[in-house]
Amino acid sequence: MSHIHIPDGVLPLWLVAAGWVAALVLVWVASGRAKRADVRRKVPLLGVVAALVLVSMSTEIVPVAYHVNLTVVAGVLLGPWLGAIAAFIVVIMLALLGHGGVTVIGLNTLMIAAEMALGWGLFRLFARALGRRRIGWAAAVATVVTLAITTTALVGLVALAGGGAATGRETGALDPASLTFANPFSGGIVSVNTLRGAEPAASAAPLSVTRFAAVVYTLGPIGWLIEALITAAVLSYVARVRPGLVFGTAIPEPTRPVGDEGAH
Amino acid sequence: MDVRAIDLSATTGTSRLHRASPVTKLIAFGLVLAAVVVQQNLFVVLACLLLCVALAVGTRLPLRKVLGLAAYPGLFAVVFALAAAPDPLTGALFVVRAMAAALGAIVLVFSTPYPQVFAPLQRVLPEVVGDALLMTYRSLFLLAEKFERLRIAIRLRSGLTRGHPVRAARATAGALGALVLYAFDLSQREYDVMRLRGYQGRLRVTLPHAASPGFDAALLASAGVVLVTAVVFRAAGAALTPWSWLLAASALLALLVTVAWRLIPR
Repeated sequence: MSHIHIPDGVLPLWLVAAGWVAALVLVWVASGRAKRADVRRKVPLLGVVAALVLVSMSTEIVPVAYHVNLTVVAGVLLGPWLGAIAAFIVVIMLALLGHGGVTVIGLNTLMIAAEMALGWGLFRLFARALGRRRIGWAAAVATVVTLAITTTALVGLVALAGGGAATGRETGALDPASLTFANPFSGGIVSVNTLRGAEPAASAAPLSVTRFAAVVYTLGPIGWLIEALITAAVLSYVARVRPGLVFGTAIPEPTRPVGDEGAH
Repeated sequence: MDVRAIDLSATTGTSRLHRASPVTKLIAFGLVLAAVVVQQNLFVVLACLLLCVALAVGTRLPLRKVLGLAAYPGLFAVVFALAAAPDPLTGALFVVRAMAAALGAIVLVFSTPYPQVFAPLQRVLPEVVGDALLMTYRSLFLLAEKFERLRIAIRLRSGLTRGHPVRAARATAGALGALVLYAFDLSQREYDVMRLRGYQGRLRVTLPHAASPGFDAALLASAGVVLVTAVVFRAAGAALTPWSWLLAASALLALLVTVAWRLIPR
């Protein structure tokens, strides 16, 4: 569940503020880490990878109306620190296009940065375990596990926001008293009685976490599968054509050349 | 996401809003966003939404694209409302709130070129983040165009067909893979070009001054009134809520007047 499609004003202020603070700290720390490397060379790379994620997010898979995110691909290509900066940039640009709220930029940054970092770590782990010849599998499994974890984090976020009556009012719940209409002309000129009264005010209702989790865990796996297939195909393609971009030097070369399986 | 249409509107628009200071527009957007977030009353949020539509109509923004983009978060808000809202009215509030906030942001980017939106942010963010924001904007056009060409090439070879989702997914993945490699080559080229031009780790964007300070002041005052109204209605609670429908009705009237004014031939 890459970025949070939760509208502005739904999550409580303390959660939104905490998200902003944590995201800004992360971005500052990540920028400090990036400075140690050749920062001038990293700027265009960051820009194009962030743009790549934005382009992919605007690309619909034709028959199923799903847009890919490529966050795991971006994580593998950039690593966790530069990935955090790219996540921040992507979220700002998406928010300016109305895609994801402005107030949830902080939480969205944390969510996408976590996805990139998890994707990067799990891909390296699985690639090491499975070997270079099963890069597609490593990418697919890493993507599914990453998305399952971040989807659970999203459900946890909604639970934090609206799981209890204490946060109900802050979730933006409409007070039923709002539906009491008053007629400014009722004391004179014209009296309109059609707009009148509503149910008595009730206590603020919390978000339905159970229903939200049921929907997310029902629809989510379809998205995870599509994202895993696309990520596996993209990383396999890049690994074939430009292996240095995917592997770096950490993963050992295969002991036998590809296609030599049946030689013995 | 048609970034070219957004850029075209932002750079070639001639309305007073287009010529207003980017900092003023950012502050005004922040005030309207705060009003939308603060409010729990459907009618007050609806009034904010209608006023944003009126602003888009009045400044002659490409309405179909603006409303299309605003509908996108509305669609996700509907899904979220169905999944999590405790009752239909709260769900309606989620949807209207999402659309009002999104419309505010969309009016901002349709009337202000991206580099000018980023310039104030660039001054407070770390160098690498500020510069990367501008590089992303530049790369976005190049990559979007390249990807569109790749998609056309695949479509011509029948790679994208509604009846074959697996083939479509594989074709899209292939195009994205090629795009990744192109993106890396592009980053290398951009780095070389930037070094030749003397890049020392800081890109600078100069902010234009307001063409009409009076309009800027009026814009800020209007946004301030919207926020104060929202805060007053929130603070007053049940005392004012029976009158809140008047705000929505007034905003609707303002929208109708704006539409009529725009339709008058000049």
